[in-house]
Amino acid sequence: MNLKEHIQQHKNEFDSEQMSATSEVLFKKRLQGELHSTKKSKVVYLRFITIAASIVLVLSIFFWNQNSGVSSETKEVLAFLNNESAGKRLEGVYKFDDEFKKEDSKIINTLIKILHNDANANVKIATIDALLKFPSNDKVRTNLITALEKEKIPLVQIKIIKSLSFLREHRAQKTLEEIINNNETFPIVKSNATLAMNQLKQ
Amino acid sequence: MNQKEIIQQCKQNNYTAQIEVYNAYKNMLYNSCYRILKNREDAEDLVQDAFIKGFQKINQVKDDVNLAAWFRRIAINLCFDKIRKEKHLFSMEDYKEIEAESEEMEFENAEEVSIDFIKECIDKLKDKYRVIVVLYMIEEYNHREISEILQINESTVRNQYARGKNQLITLLQKHTKNEFKRTHSAT
Repeated sequence: MNLKEHIQQHKNEFDSEQMSATSEVLFKKRLQGELHSTKKSKVVYLRFITIAASIVLVLSIFFWNQNSGVSSETKEVLAFLNNESAGKRLEGVYKFDDEFKKEDSKIINTLIKILHNDANANVKIATIDALLKFPSNDKVRTNLITALEKEKIPLVQIKIIKSLSFLREHRAQKTLEEIINNNETFPIVKSNATLAMNQLKQ
Repeated sequence: MNQKEIIQQCKQNNYTAQIEVYNAYKNMLYNSCYRILKNREDAEDLVQDAFIKGFQKINQVKDDVNLAAWFRRIAINLCFDKIRKEKHLFSMEDYKEIEAESEEMEFENAEEVSIDFIKECIDKLKDKYRVIVVLYMIEEYNHREISEILQINESTVRNQYARGKNQLITLLQKHTKNEFKRTHSAT
């Protein structure tokens, strides 16, 4: 018999060493601690709470910073402009019209949103008047053009066309041409568009 | 519980099943670790590490795995991680010496030598040879597996094993000759 075969035949005799008596107690303690500890799940839970609290804190600081520069008057106007009632929104537009002389980006952004999305024609028309207080603001000018491209209410279309003509906004010519050539355009809108086109071409 | 059920229970982190596995294999793992490290405290610590690591990773094995072999493999790998980390016992650099072919000696009639004496002779080998002889002859690893564990070339393993085995046989033969002399001088 060769050496390896002899060793393998008596393998058990090579495994004669025994773990110490205390080792099992220590292992049980370690196993409990590392794989069965309720503390572990508590730690995970606490970690989750900590992360969630941190996120809330960061967001709060972010929004606080965003709103910290907003005056109470602006907040009041914004509240009106975002109101569900068309009457309140109209009130908001006129409040802005009467009380604000300086450009306020938050209010202008809200007015532009109304210009594009509001379902009420009166609110839209009042909004256009309010926006015309800032004739040199390019954001106002370009949004009037894009609003005209999408607008379907004739009264509002006419209001925008007259505004763009007043602003001498040459970039509106392409949109005006499309309105003039569109068979579905109301005749009164067409004639206003043609007039505006002629004035812009002068 | 059969082994498959025990594995399934361990996968569910069942404490009783884990203790059953520990008690079944702890001494086997301990002997394997002790043969490599030659230090009782270190061997005991590594056995515990091996079981904890095994239970943490048991979801990765199939239900019909040879659990004893799997845990032993973890324990032996941990032994060599420790050796690499602490560079005690022997340095892994020892294996990077220039390779030279060594022919393996054969030792017939091994059954005439006691197991205790073979153990004694294995312990007398240099660490770098002892470890490979232990892995090959006792733990039944092949050369490729040993090369993976030691992270050295398979050809180096073959060479070092041949040298270790030859030294072991030389030690065993000396003893056999002395026994022969003692018997004949007595008569």
